[in-house]
Amino acid sequence: MIRQAKIVLLIILAVILQVAFFPYHFADPFKPNLFMIFVVYLGFRGNTLWGGVGALLLGLLQDSTGGIYFGLNGFSCLFIFIVLKTVAHRLFTDSRPLMVLSVFLATVLNGLLNLLTLLVFSVVDGIYSTILSDIIPQGIITALIAYMVCSYVAPGKREEMA
Amino acid sequence: METHFGRGGLASPYLFVVQDFGQSLLPLSVGYTESDMLDFVKKHKIKMFAGIALLGSLIFYSLSLRHKEHANSFERTVLSLTTPVAGSVSRIDVFISSIWNDYLYLVNVRQENKRLRETITILNKRLVDNREAVVEHDRLKKLMGLKDILPVSTRAALVVGEDSSPWFRTVTIDRGEADGVREGMPVVASAGVVGRIVKVAHNSSRVLLLSDHASGIAAVVQRSRARGVVMGKGGNICSLEFSQRGEDVRTGDVVLTSGIGGVFPKGLPIGEITMVKKGEYGIFQTVNIRPFVNISRLEEVLVVLQKSND
Repeated sequence: MIRQAKIVLLIILAVILQVAFFPYHFADPFKPNLFMIFVVYLGFRGNTLWGGVGALLLGLLQDSTGGIYFGLNGFSCLFIFIVLKTVAHRLFTDSRPLMVLSVFLATVLNGLLNLLTLLVFSVVDGIYSTILSDIIPQGIITALIAYMVCSYVAPGKREEMA
Repeated sequence: METHFGRGGLASPYLFVVQDFGQSLLPLSVGYTESDMLDFVKKHKIKMFAGIALLGSLIFYSLSLRHKEHANSFERTVLSLTTPVAGSVSRIDVFISSIWNDYLYLVNVRQENKRLRETITILNKRLVDNREAVVEHDRLKKLMGLKDILPVSTRAALVVGEDSSPWFRTVTIDRGEADGVREGMPVVASAGVVGRIVKVAHNSSRVLLLSDHASGIAAVVQRSRARGVVMGKGGNICSLEFSQRGEDVRTGDVVLTSGIGGVFPKGLPIGEITMVKKGEYGIFQTVNIRPFVNISRLEEVLVVLQKSND
């Protein structure tokens, strides 16, 4: 129960940072995606059912704080969660480098999924140039923050790749 | 024989008799022997020497007055001898004074310094607040000017949030359904068009900025009246789409809202054309526009309270 409360508190903190802090202090390509860190965490550690629900809700939360396409990130986050859940049992998920790398890849995948979904379902000509140019910087900054979060959560832990 | 009395009271009890023997004047006492005179001199020699010395010094002083602006050899010698000593003493004095003034006397300076720093901080904050108030006043004045010009009723709003995603361009304002704000309403600032309302909550709304890829505003070039649609291109750039190759569009032209579609009032400034490219083929030309409104520095906006025709 305490663990869940901590996660909820962290998510609230992430929302505050994502909505009120990062947009004002980070230039556009370098706005991190904190929600993706939670999605990756849920994909590695979470329950299949509730983790999936959580990933979907995180995506919808992200849609509520940016853009006009409600459900866009909901789909992407759920997709990423499912991919991670599928491969999680093959990986040493306690590894910090794996977590950081996964966050980077998940952020990139999220951008590509957003782009694909927008191109298929919406009329947003030209958005591919914006998304493609912003994907890598966003992935890097998000991975960096994931590294900091991991260091804070388990500062003395030694990892080994599986 | 002449009889003279001595100077002052020196000779008062005595009578100096000056006998004129032709060559010299010799004081002789009347009724006193020479030994008495010697006794007198011995007895009062100090006073006499003092008097003579004083007299001599006065004479010396009076003689020196003629050369008062020139140092004599004695003065020069004294000056030469005392100057190095005076310099050393002066340096020692300065050193001691500095120790006193810079260390011993400054026991309360730290407290005073701290207090002064706090005062400076407070004054700096007041200065910043004052500047901010002046800038805000100017902005609001311009905004109110626009409010008076617009033929429809408007609602002022503050920008309270930005888009959390790097590839969408929206901002959140502090006016919502409770203030009469509805989806589709245009949003303007003192410099020009900002965008339109896309999502409305009770006390807040989201504004789709004109630079977002999903934004489209019917527009007209002010000079040539060429028509087109201003579409967002991300960042702080827009483009004028559907402008035919034959239309007269030049760099520097001002683009206004055309009023077509009924979303935006006619004649609101959108931006300035920064690039025109006409290819060899195709129906349309490529036109880039820099919006007049600095999207990244939006603080106050006006929501035009008219029903969208969309």
